[in-house]
Amino acid sequence: MNLSPRTRHRLYLFFLVAPTFVILFGVVIYPFFYNVILSLSNMSLRHIRDWQIIGFGQYVKVFTEPSQPDFYMVFGKTIIWTVVNVVCHVVIGVFLALVLNQKEIKGKWLFRAILVLPWAVPQLIVALTWRGMFNYEYGSINLMLTQWLGVEGVQWLRQPLEAFIAVIVTNVWLGFPFMMVIALGALQSIPHDLYEAADIDGARWYHKLWHITVPLIRPVMVPAITLGTIWTFNNLNIVWLVSNAGEPSDQTHLLVSFVYKAAFNFYRYGYGAALSMVIFAILLVFSLSFMRRSKATDNVYS
Amino acid sequence: MKYLRQGLVFMLVAVVAAAAAIPWTGCHRRDDGRIRITMWHQDRIDVRLILQRQLDRFMQLHPEVRVEQLFKETEELRSGFIIAALAGQGPEIVYGPSDQVGPFEIMQIITPLEGIFEKEWLAQYDPRGLTWYKDHLYQVADKLGNHLTLVYNKKLVPVPPTTDEELVKIGKRLTADLNGDGKPDRYGLTWNYTEPFFFIPFMTGFGGWIMDDQGNPTLNGRGTIDGLGFVKQLRDVHRIIPNEADYNVADILFKDGNAGMIINGDWSWAGYKNAGLDIGVAPLPKITSTGLWCEPMVSPKGFSMNVNIAPEKRQWVIELIRYLMSPENQLESTKELFTMPTHMAVQQGDFVQGNEILRNSALQIAHGRTMPVVPEVRAIWDAMRPGYQAVLAGRVSAEQAAAEMQAMALRRIKEMNE
Repeated sequence: MNLSPRTRHRLYLFFLVAPTFVILFGVVIYPFFYNVILSLSNMSLRHIRDWQIIGFGQYVKVFTEPSQPDFYMVFGKTIIWTVVNVVCHVVIGVFLALVLNQKEIKGKWLFRAILVLPWAVPQLIVALTWRGMFNYEYGSINLMLTQWLGVEGVQWLRQPLEAFIAVIVTNVWLGFPFMMVIALGALQSIPHDLYEAADIDGARWYHKLWHITVPLIRPVMVPAITLGTIWTFNNLNIVWLVSNAGEPSDQTHLLVSFVYKAAFNFYRYGYGAALSMVIFAILLVFSLSFMRRSKATDNVYS
Repeated sequence: MKYLRQGLVFMLVAVVAAAAAIPWTGCHRRDDGRIRITMWHQDRIDVRLILQRQLDRFMQLHPEVRVEQLFKETEELRSGFIIAALAGQGPEIVYGPSDQVGPFEIMQIITPLEGIFEKEWLAQYDPRGLTWYKDHLYQVADKLGNHLTLVYNKKLVPVPPTTDEELVKIGKRLTADLNGDGKPDRYGLTWNYTEPFFFIPFMTGFGGWIMDDQGNPTLNGRGTIDGLGFVKQLRDVHRIIPNEADYNVADILFKDGNAGMIINGDWSWAGYKNAGLDIGVAPLPKITSTGLWCEPMVSPKGFSMNVNIAPEKRQWVIELIRYLMSPENQLESTKELFTMPTHMAVQQGDFVQGNEILRNSALQIAHGRTMPVVPEVRAIWDAMRPGYQAVLAGRVSAEQAAAEMQAMALRRIKEMNE
């Protein structure tokens, strides 16, 4: 073969990238475009083999179909779920990381291990344990409320608002260790000289937090928050297991459990695909705007 | 040239690694030259162990065949089988309750069996164990029932109730505050309140049923309203059932002796026996005001064949189903699990006739309603769940719930059949 060095180099690069591309094509690109096609089709129980492209009908249904709960109600709950969870994850996670980053703390490894525990336990176990803890009569939460605080037990899993709070509490407990670990890693990479210089300048703790810590952990935290938001937005397990698939009365659904139910319980594959594309669009817009507004890719030292 | 060679080697390694991984994905059809048959089911561990013994014996008889059982959760099995079979893949045998036959038939992913198994062979089995749909046989069952009964702890309930009035009377006697904290520690009765499947006996006891002969939902009727009212009375007026109970809570209450009776299915009996409980099984009671029995749903559990079975495997799949349906294997399962066999000779044999649990199970099956296999049942379950839960939470009246169930069922069926 009489190939120029430049062509050889390009071929070499091609061969290196090709396996990755093949895998990406198989697990991301092809399923994504297949989903786009399905979202434009009438594929369902009665049209599973003879499905056809019908245009944007499924998208129209997503936004206009009267159901209980409807898209807007579920979307609203998903927003609340995501915001509350991510805010709690970040606040608790960063707070604990700041505490654990103090030199004075003894036995840090033990605290770290204990605090990472929620993350290490399988979600299924966590969800079912919390479900048991929220039981009206026998759950430990109500037992504590009634025996220690002397207040009436709460019908956690039987009333819509309480059930929604219950799933949020479970997910907050599950999610903060991730943010804590990320924040701790970021904190440990901050040069200590900066704090010493600030001390010499007479800076108070909140000055150091706001002008040194926050800017320097931002490049690490912003992608983590973005990921955390996407994961939380798309978290099916906790809602599905703690509230037993949207109970009570389908009042604790998130968009992702709504899609799952439409597609896999009612065989509405076209509708489910359209709804999942809507979710994708929402997350894409959020991620891009959040990354841009938070200037996550800017160099903090510049 | 060196770079190019390195690139080629890298790609070759990647391809070989991918090829080596394929057997772990379950895509290969043969294993050491043996015919490989896969069976998906959703049975719990004790059933799986018995099944494995039977499969091992089958493989000893036929060393040229390798059979693998694979457990999947109910929903995962159904959706996974649909996806695999539509792609021309999937297990050769899918095992489960008969209600999956409807959607599988519509999607044309299971094969009719009436031309495969001879009439004489089929005649050995209880007709209720043979699931016909649209004039074709799609499932042959080795177990009949999957039904709810009244399970009682003999230490607490020497004689089970036969009517709702007796049920309430016994329940009141059993419900007690044992530690003096002002709350009951032991209840007369419990069951899983979250699933409408457990509500069906109360609905039928008051003359209701989920659908008419044409498959239209019939939820907005007296059966639903009075059944819901009865359940609320048990909890709020007679106070013989816990305030809140899902499957696990009810199960633990009964196992710990904190509930004298539980409404649970045939799948639970062996577990209670193994937990050391002296249990009895009785038909669910009759509602005095209507004179009707509380009839649970009854469905067979059996084998269906994937439409994509490779020609060289087909005969072995048929042979395997025949083997698993044999009277010896059915009797083995019945002895350990107390499930009702479908083989008539086993049903009428000494063990079943001489066993109190199985005799009462048969009585309950006689007082049961066959679960429809049409896919619309799924929409009806989904429509019943919110209303049932809302009534128990005190958010809506029984009348309002029944009307909402009906409206939602109609909407769900329309959406599902669009």
